[in-house]
Amino acid sequence: MANNQPINHLTRELLLSLSDVVVPEHFLGFGLGLRTEHFQDVLNDKPNIDWFEVVSENFMVDGGKPKHYLHSIRELYPMVMHGVSLSIGSTDPLNFDYLRKLKVLSNELQPEWISDHLCWTGAHEKNSHDLLPLPYNDEALTHVCQRVEQVQDFLGRPILLENVSSYLSYKSSEMTEWQFFNEVARRSGCEILLDINNIYVSARNHHFNPQDYLNGITKDKVKQFHLAGHSDYGDYVIDTHDHPVADPVWQLYQQALIRFGLISTMIERDDNIPPLVDLLAEVDTARKIAQQTLGLSNE
Amino acid sequence: MSKLSLHSLQQQMMNYLIDDKADIAQHVVEHGSINRTARLHIYKNAYRMRLKETIENDHQMLGMYLGDDLFEQMVSGYVTAYPSNKTSLRNFADALPNFLANHTPFKNHPIISELAHFERLLMVAFDAKDAARFTRQRLLEIPHEQWPSLVFRFHPSVQIAAFNFNTVETWQALKQQHAPEPAKHAANVWLLWRNNERLTQFRSLSQQEHSLISLMLSGDNFAQLCEQLLSQSSDEDISQLALNYLLSWVDDGILINQ
Ligand SMILES: [Fe+2]
Repeated sequence: MANNQPINHLTRELLLSLSDVVVPEHFLGFGLGLRTEHFQDVLNDKPNIDWFEVVSENFMVDGGKPKHYLHSIRELYPMVMHGVSLSIGSTDPLNFDYLRKLKVLSNELQPEWISDHLCWTGAHEKNSHDLLPLPYNDEALTHVCQRVEQVQDFLGRPILLENVSSYLSYKSSEMTEWQFFNEVARRSGCEILLDINNIYVSARNHHFNPQDYLNGITKDKVKQFHLAGHSDYGDYVIDTHDHPVADPVWQLYQQALIRFGLISTMIERDDNIPPLVDLLAEVDTARKIAQQTLGLSNE
Repeated sequence: MSKLSLHSLQQQMMNYLIDDKADIAQHVVEHGSINRTARLHIYKNAYRMRLKETIENDHQMLGMYLGDDLFEQMVSGYVTAYPSNKTSLRNFADALPNFLANHTPFKNHPIISELAHFERLLMVAFDAKDAARFTRQRLLEIPHEQWPSLVFRFHPSVQIAAFNFNTVETWQALKQQHAPEPAKHAANVWLLWRNNERLTQFRSLSQQEHSLISLMLSGDNFAQLCEQLLSQSSDEDISQLALNYLLSWVDDGILINQ
């Protein structure tokens, strides 16, 4: 900072404006996962929120009321598309029928970007409908990278992949998840959606230091953060997305801000859905933490 | 132990989730205070719960009709008999009516399968393709001499469903939280569609209206519909009757522009 005024003479906002925090080119601000329960409220109240994320599969239908609402909301807000069925790590062939539907939806919505998960969801033509962890080894790495490239060629754009919460690891793993994740991004050219809650949940379940995860991810690959709630059973933690964001996850979010800077951030709530205002308050908390952390960390 | 290929690992994990085969356990790392059986069980539990919740959401009235124990028995039977091969959970329970029609104890009460069928048709109507509707205004613009050759097309949400029991009445009673009448054998046909306000709607069809709609589905024109009416009713004003049907279909929003 240019002068030596003590820090408490400055408002945080001024601090942020004076700081050399870099606003990344694709920074969308602070957003929320759009849920059907809130469609009517969003259209009526037009809440002050920067963007929405929609679950792609929910709108891979031909028509009807939800899709009609979605298009109305799209006219008011930027959107990103988030999928759960790509199954990028599966040994089954890529599902081009799914990819075609994804492309149709993306042509309709013109999202800022499209994301899915670094996982597999099924094999041998059976679907678990779950985000299952991969073994982190060379075989899986080669397999995933080659499929990410195929998907990106098909969609004509890079995709974002998100780290999943996991409850087990395999003996055939040869590297850490963050080494694997980073290498997938480097080789395939995909970008990274870091779910801060998922890092916390997996760190607890597998006894690693979540800070090591953050430090292991290349800075300029991260394009989006997810924040969500979990259920803590003491010996293990489950990624339930049915609670507000927990305190240790807010703390880890601060660490992530310090490492990665200003990143498009959103609250992801999938179950036990509260009124829209409650989630907007959580989005505000995320915004305030980012302002505080980035302002002060500059000193 | 030789290294497990990605292909085999995924096969073993699916075998565990679907068929309870525990070969995968020896490839899972054991560490911390929860053992690998418990770790695997988190996935098994999530798998079962997700499929159960999908059926619960899709089939709320069926769930009430069966009660908790029979519902649980149905879920467990269906999940085992029809592991998902669908991309979307939305289609997971597509084969439920078929399962219920062919497995005891459900098949002994055919109304159960019919209830499941009705609920699946409601879902189909809910998010079927949109299409511009035929309006009264549009009808008035068509020169009279063209009327006999008019062929009408249905909105993509339109479903015709035939039942052998008082299935829809039972569904309606459950929806209103009344005790349904006992199952009664009686052939009946229903029309389901998504209306102009994008709400799913249904009503029963008389034999006469059903026969007209069947003709329309096979591509017959307005003149042929009138002939059908003429063959059924002797002295009435056939063209007025046909026009009334047509206007009610237009007002219901089941016909589209072509
Ligand atoms: Fe997430």
